[in-house]
Amino acid sequence: MPEAPGAMPSGAARRPEPLTLRAAARVQRQVIGALLLRELSTRFGRENLGFLWLFLEPALLGGTIGLVHHLSGRGLPGGVDVLSFWVLGYIPFFLFRSVVNRAPVAIVSNQSLLYHRRITILDIMLARDLLEGAAVLGAMAVFVLAIGLATGTWPEQPAKLVLGMALMLVLAHGIGLLISAGSVYTEMFERITHMVTYLSLPILGSFFMVFWLPTEVQKMVLWMPTVHCFEIVRDGQFGSAVPTSYDVSYVLTCAALLNLFGLAALRKARRDMVV
Amino acid sequence: MIRLHALGKAYRVHGRMRAVLSGIEATFRPGEAVGILGRNGAGKTTLLRLIAGVEHPTSGWVERGMTVSWPLGFAGAMHYSITGADNARFIARIYGKPVAETVEFVDAFAELGEYYRMPARTYSHGMLTRLGFALSMAVDFDCYLVDEAVAAGDSRFATRCRDALEERRGRSAILFVSHVPDLLRQFCTSGAVLQDGRLTRYDDLDQAIAAYQPA
Repeated sequence: MPEAPGAMPSGAARRPEPLTLRAAARVQRQVIGALLLRELSTRFGRENLGFLWLFLEPALLGGTIGLVHHLSGRGLPGGVDVLSFWVLGYIPFFLFRSVVNRAPVAIVSNQSLLYHRRITILDIMLARDLLEGAAVLGAMAVFVLAIGLATGTWPEQPAKLVLGMALMLVLAHGIGLLISAGSVYTEMFERITHMVTYLSLPILGSFFMVFWLPTEVQKMVLWMPTVHCFEIVRDGQFGSAVPTSYDVSYVLTCAALLNLFGLAALRKARRDMVV
Repeated sequence: MIRLHALGKAYRVHGRMRAVLSGIEATFRPGEAVGILGRNGAGKTTLLRLIAGVEHPTSGWVERGMTVSWPLGFAGAMHYSITGADNARFIARIYGKPVAETVEFVDAFAELGEYYRMPARTYSHGMLTRLGFALSMAVDFDCYLVDEAVAAGDSRFATRCRDALEERRGRSAILFVSHVPDLLRQFCTSGAVLQDGRLTRYDDLDQAIAAYQPA
């Protein structure tokens, strides 16, 4: 058969090795475990301020905005504590941004790992994002504790804080998969991702509550899956003190679709990439 | 055993697809030490990368009935920011090997001395090659993909590589690529020539060398 340059690999769907699901799961556990340990030491090692920044940024940004509002004497609708509102609004965004912003270089900066056939791009992304999620969740716990001690208000439903963050992580992970797959073909993502995440800050849902908005606008912003995540977190923290609107199944559907397309894109990109 | 089924690879060069390998059919069995000859640019490295699974073929597929090493002799498989010992720990975890034993084994095999506890980015090229080779020996693959760069340089280490590969000959297969026939005589029993994107096997290494015209 003459070669057909650029044609789809004829036998690519075939798995060359007889690998049971159980054995494959074991390998994946091993690999992700090893990647987690490596990531832990390179990102949060003694030599850099990774860990410190995790606390500093939400504290500085959320704290500053909260302080401005506090000094201006303007409270928030529903009588919610200003400082805890801004800090808790910033943390899920912080998670979203760090997962998405690191996606364009996720493959390039880990290219040497792909010499090991056992390590897939998905493993690399999973390890990074799981660690990021755990770290930011840890930071959130510290802030919630601090808020509780300072103001005496504790989360009404702590599980919803975790749920909101978990959904945000899965959404960001799916977007990250798509971006990292795209980065194999073009450098565009490396250039624009940071800008886009910053510019989208106002519409992601970090700094407004859905019930502040007119009904028409509410319907529009609820198309953004991230808006729901922030609302879930607020429901967990403030509970009945403020009305929140969200739909968990909508976020799950969005997250599932993003991840599905992300996996498909990554599969194609892996075949086309030059290591 | 390893089988290559109509294996082909094309790269995009200046917007056009250029075939490097096409329609390669070959079988490599345990215990074989095959020397693959090819000129610079013939696609030797590409072939090793496809067999290792570092890159994926454009057409055809690789059937792996045994565990296959990463391509040795390139610095690719290592982390430069961490120490040699940390690299050994990482590899041990990835491949499910006991960590302490692996660290010890690599220390003894690579003979890096104090450098073993220093970041790999401080290593010379020869030291990186030694670390990479030692790491792959620690994992204990069924098939080793070796680039001639392993044999180049420090001749004492080249001898040790040869001994280590020799010792595994019974159970492991070795694919060794080079553009220098003399190097293959030290390592291999049978041969193959890679030319114009196609691979021709010869049962006898000397036949392969005779068929190969280095440029």
